[in-house]
Amino acid sequence: MTSTFLHMSRGPLDIREALREWILERRPDLAPDAIDEHTPLIEARYLESLDVAELLLFVEQLRGRPIDIDALTPGAFRDIDTLHTTFFGEPAQ
Amino acid sequence: MSTPVSSAAGSRAELTLEDVEGLACLDSGQAVLFGALFSFAEALDRMFVRVATRWAAQEYRFPTFIAAAELDRVDYFRSFPHLATFPACLDPDEANLDTFCRDEPVRGDGVVQLTAVAPVSDVLTPAACYHLYVHHQGAGFDTPRYFTTTNTCFRREAHYRPLERLWSFTMREIVCMGDRDEVHAFLTEASAVVDAIVSNLGLAARWTPASDPFFRAPTNPKSLMQKIDPTKQEMVFDGRLAIASANFHHDHFGRAFGITRTTATGAEQVHSGCVAFGIERWLAALAHTFGPAPARWPDLDSLVVHNVGGTGV
Repeated sequence: MTSTFLHMSRGPLDIREALREWILERRPDLAPDAIDEHTPLIEARYLESLDVAELLLFVEQLRGRPIDIDALTPGAFRDIDTLHTTFFGEPAQ
Repeated sequence: MSTPVSSAAGSRAELTLEDVEGLACLDSGQAVLFGALFSFAEALDRMFVRVATRWAAQEYRFPTFIAAAELDRVDYFRSFPHLATFPACLDPDEANLDTFCRDEPVRGDGVVQLTAVAPVSDVLTPAACYHLYVHHQGAGFDTPRYFTTTNTCFRREAHYRPLERLWSFTMREIVCMGDRDEVHAFLTEASAVVDAIVSNLGLAARWTPASDPFFRAPTNPKSLMQKIDPTKQEMVFDGRLAIASANFHHDHFGRAFGITRTTATGAEQVHSGCVAFGIERWLAALAHTFGPAPARWPDLDSLVVHNVGGTGV
């Protein structure tokens, strides 16, 4: 389950896959191949507001430190690739 | 109560909105319009209706109340509990009415001494466009549809300012229901038209990204969502007063009310978007810009509002 994810033990591909699995868990109506790194998660309405709030917590858990909500910018949750760049890239947010 | 002064070109050095001719302010956060100011409010609404003719928008008049159960479908009450105003009636039981009449119905400080209250199942309209989604629930459209409506809207606030922040105010809206691209095109075009109006009137206002006043915004998921996916722009006068807004709802209302848009590839939940105009706030912006005498304000009926994209109306 999500609580077993530890950022230190995961490379970029693992993190992207963890994000993809998390989204697919939330959306069992979607085929596994419906989500790739560039699928527009918000625009396609794959994520609702409650999902985004919980995904934010999951991202914090994955990377092991909090996200500054005030510093969030439009588009930060656009797709998995953007999520990775925004929250797991260097320098980290 | 004085109001901050606009630094817009042409504005007076100082203006107190209570001094605007044709305006009476009530302590309850409501406004009385009469004479030239009332006429100007009517002219503003006519101008926005002329804007709506650009899309041949069908005009609707809805009542003041809206069923709470309908707004609950879009989670209105958890999102904006602090703004809601409910119509309350006494329980019609005669003994209850007797009790109400026998005691002092209204205290000296103006507070009504309610006895038992009948169940409340309606809310006073908080935004004019909600009625349109409720009215069209279950509908299927095979073309984009455009609507316009106006209503007295009610939003309870912690404090009020003459014309600028009212408990009850007048909102004119133009709404598009269609697919994503159709709604985007509508909002782009409508925003340009509002820009042209503001420019032609010489108002110091511009479109600015905005968010809705959600309850407990810092921890509200809807507020977070609006932060990462801005769907609201406001036409802000003097850097502080929103006189219009343009809103993209995705398929939020289409899903909640089962409204669909059928295309060659099948049916999908309708997307929607609206532009909204706060009439009293436009009056405030005009007063700050042109002074307290509405008779000296620009003639709106002769203002060309469609000189965008080559259509002049």
